[in-house]
Amino acid sequence: MHNKNKRILPFLYLLPTAILLLVFMIIPIIYTFYLSFFDWNLIAPTKEFVGFKNYIDVFIDPINQKVILNTIIYIVFLIILNFLIPYFISLIVKFFINKMQKTYKILFFIPSLFSLVVGAMIFTWMLNPVSGPIAFILKNIGISMPNWSNSGILAITVICFITNWKVFGYNFILLLTGLGSIPQNIIDAAKIDRIPKWRLIFNVVLPMNRGISVYVLILTIVQGLQYVFTPINVITTGGPYYGSSNMIYQTYLNAFVLYKTGTSSALAIVTFIIFLILLFIEIRFVEGRSDKYV
Amino acid sequence: MGENNATIELKQISKQFKDNKIINELNLSIQAGEFLVLLGPSGCGKSTTLRMIAGLEEPTTGDVLINGKKLKQIDEDGHTVAMVFQDYALYPNMTVYQNLEYALKVHKIPVQSRRSRIEAVLKILNLTNYKNRLPSQLSGGQKQRVAVGRGMVKKSKIFLLDEPLSNIDIQLREKARDEIQNMHLENRQTIVYVTHDQLEAMALGDRIAVMDQGIIQMIDTPENIYNKPTNLFVAKFIGTPQINIIEIELNNGQVLFNNKPIMKPSTYKLDSKKYYLGIRPENFSCSKTERNEFSFEVMVDNIIDYGRFVQLSLITKDNEYLKATVNKFDFQKGETINVTLDQSTSIIFDQTTGKNLYWGNYE
Amino acid sequence: MFDKGKINYWHLLLILVVLIAILPILFMVSNSFKTLRDSYNTMLSLIPLRPTLNNYLMLNRQVNLLTLTWNTFLMAAIVTIGKLLTGLLTAYAFRSYRFKGKMFVYLIFVSTIFVPFTIIMIPNYLVIAKLNLLNNVLGVALPQLCDATGIMIFLKTMEKIPNTLIDAAKVDNIPNRKIFFNIVIPILKPSIVSVGAIFFINSWNEYVWPTLILKDKASFTLPLALQNYISSEGGTNFPLAMALSTIMVILPLIIYLIFQKYILNSISTSGLK
Repeated sequence: MHNKNKRILPFLYLLPTAILLLVFMIIPIIYTFYLSFFDWNLIAPTKEFVGFKNYIDVFIDPINQKVILNTIIYIVFLIILNFLIPYFISLIVKFFINKMQKTYKILFFIPSLFSLVVGAMIFTWMLNPVSGPIAFILKNIGISMPNWSNSGILAITVICFITNWKVFGYNFILLLTGLGSIPQNIIDAAKIDRIPKWRLIFNVVLPMNRGISVYVLILTIVQGLQYVFTPINVITTGGPYYGSSNMIYQTYLNAFVLYKTGTSSALAIVTFIIFLILLFIEIRFVEGRSDKYV
Repeated sequence: MGENNATIELKQISKQFKDNKIINELNLSIQAGEFLVLLGPSGCGKSTTLRMIAGLEEPTTGDVLINGKKLKQIDEDGHTVAMVFQDYALYPNMTVYQNLEYALKVHKIPVQSRRSRIEAVLKILNLTNYKNRLPSQLSGGQKQRVAVGRGMVKKSKIFLLDEPLSNIDIQLREKARDEIQNMHLENRQTIVYVTHDQLEAMALGDRIAVMDQGIIQMIDTPENIYNKPTNLFVAKFIGTPQINIIEIELNNGQVLFNNKPIMKPSTYKLDSKKYYLGIRPENFSCSKTERNEFSFEVMVDNIIDYGRFVQLSLITKDNEYLKATVNKFDFQKGETINVTLDQSTSIIFDQTTGKNLYWGNYE
Repeated sequence: MFDKGKINYWHLLLILVVLIAILPILFMVSNSFKTLRDSYNTMLSLIPLRPTLNNYLMLNRQVNLLTLTWNTFLMAAIVTIGKLLTGLLTAYAFRSYRFKGKMFVYLIFVSTIFVPFTIIMIPNYLVIAKLNLLNNVLGVALPQLCDATGIMIFLKTMEKIPNTLIDAAKVDNIPNRKIFFNIVIPILKPSIVSVGAIFFINSWNEYVWPTLILKDKASFTLPLALQNYISSEGGTNFPLAMALSTIMVILPLIIYLIFQKYILNSISTSGLK
């Protein structure tokens, strides 16, 4: 009896999570995969099997091509804004100042408390090309502000900046923690040997911190592409002419605005495959080293 | 002062962390080529002192002078000081060889010269076969040797070691101690070595500085530290089993312990009053049968035979505990025996200041 | 290594970052107390020329703030409690039992972080519609009741509980249920509080799922109401939108100020590998 209990108990504890995962994650993924081979509009009683047509559309449709290109631009911007800059700042806070580290941590994190909708709202006001404060200041020094919502690339920049405003503190703390787990003695040892700081950072600190940086880097891409959904939907709804849309947003547009369920599903599957490749990299670099559950 | 060593001088050093005064007006001068051990209980400020010599901490007040100058003025390329950390602080992403090479490479020592230096050190420390391993693939003893080696290749004038042996197995410790000693004999660097282990301190130091509460209590040769401790703290801190401290009264040329004469010093210049008397366990004569005018009776509470010597726990008639070590004995647990204390090795301390009064004969 | 008394110029850069982070918020609060005209005429001034509560009063006439707040709170509370419960149970199962395929299950959990919401949104939307939970915050909460980040943080905290402690309880024949509630949970309290706070704040601010499920204005949460202001009336009346934003952030801010230390620590744990 006792023994039997012991074998069943862990599964009992795992049951709620397992059911939720199954119903709202695993089965939906499979169902989306299924839908990606059909032509459907979310409402009609019948679905028409179209084979790989939806997938072919993802790659040959000019709008989708544009969206894929945009996605790459988003990834580059997100890496710069949400990974490289927070990493640089966390190195500064860790190695180049002696005081106020905690104060900076607390202050940097505050925007994370805000909804991205609020962020989108504030920055549309601040960056309003006609009546916003930035435009006002620029006008006074003789620069006219471009109407960024008319340009895809500028809109992408603004959207990425808004997400950066929100997640900067979060990523900063993650990266700073990684740096904090490097033993102080190693840094002291290098100080005694008069190793220049940047040299120490490149030769010792960054290699030692590789695990957590890869984790944050990949999370930046995966979550960043989803975070930008909110400012896109609030500010540009993907415009001008899909200029600020990305694969995530295009999937949503296809599903709930254009009612092209098949295209939407195929886009979702392609996105997922890209994320899985990133997950594989993450496991190789980060999780792979902890083999405690094998 | 030679080519490969330097003097270190700490002048009126104080170090304060917030309201906590770690070091209090410390003065210390270390000669060129000396092996000085900083010994003390944990939290006594010895590591902080070492870190200030290394330049890792700035003293709140006072100066640290290397060869009469501040470290920053002379040490542009980091060749003056080498340091070994308690947990070794090896660069985990570099191999043994790279760990030894890193500082030399950054400071642009030519390839040929650094290779020969590193190979020589690897050979001395028996690490040649491990030079391509990462620190995580090494045993504790090997890591410790790499840490020492990383200091050695720098050929620095000053070598600082912060409890370098406390994380390795006892069996390996003696060997590692010999290696450090040999290194000193060969290179004659100025060494400052921090430890809380008195045996290590005794074995290694030319001089030992005993620290407590941010103050150097005594600085002298191991022999003097043991036999002529300046105060109660040093007397108690050094030696196992611990020194016996009993309250005595000096009266009419006799030392009275519980109103019974236990010794009669030949010369002394002290007032007749109460003092503490310190007597090391090995300076007891214990016997069941023999007695003399100064012996007194104690009960044997416990006998522990360590092989090399026998440790006795004794209880006096007034319920005071004493510890004695002897080589042979003719009695058993529970028996009453006679003990005599050796006057020439006994130490007398002032009751209020705890200072060694040297029987008033000097100082 | 900087000398005492020497100014560290890196602080200038860091203060600039602080300004970028904080200034928009200060402008938001300031504008919410400005009249529409002042918000334009004195747009660079942080202190309202003629402070007014009009924006808040007008907002209160236009939307039902109480219902909005209650909807948001209810959704966030359900999601938080659900994520905490499933997270704790799952982490405990991982911590205390060996079973076949543990690594595999663990990897599945970790992988869920990498599942884009787009791949599950259509089926989940259909399920919620089937369950008749559209326009209901329950429908938003239901698909989000478990979270891999929570599981990972709890697992990490639980791994710090010494095995001997659990063994001691087992030797004394304490039932598992009691070990979980009387020993494990109290030790985990700080991380439960902080992870809970993070879950709550994130859910409070959520936009994506609510925008799919909640179409009826009566079921709106605060972020949706705000979005409504930006797309329809926005651009013309920012002070009003900023008043709503200010109201929206009060609760997260209070939670952060109270649990700030725990929250920041918890984020650190979640990233530590």
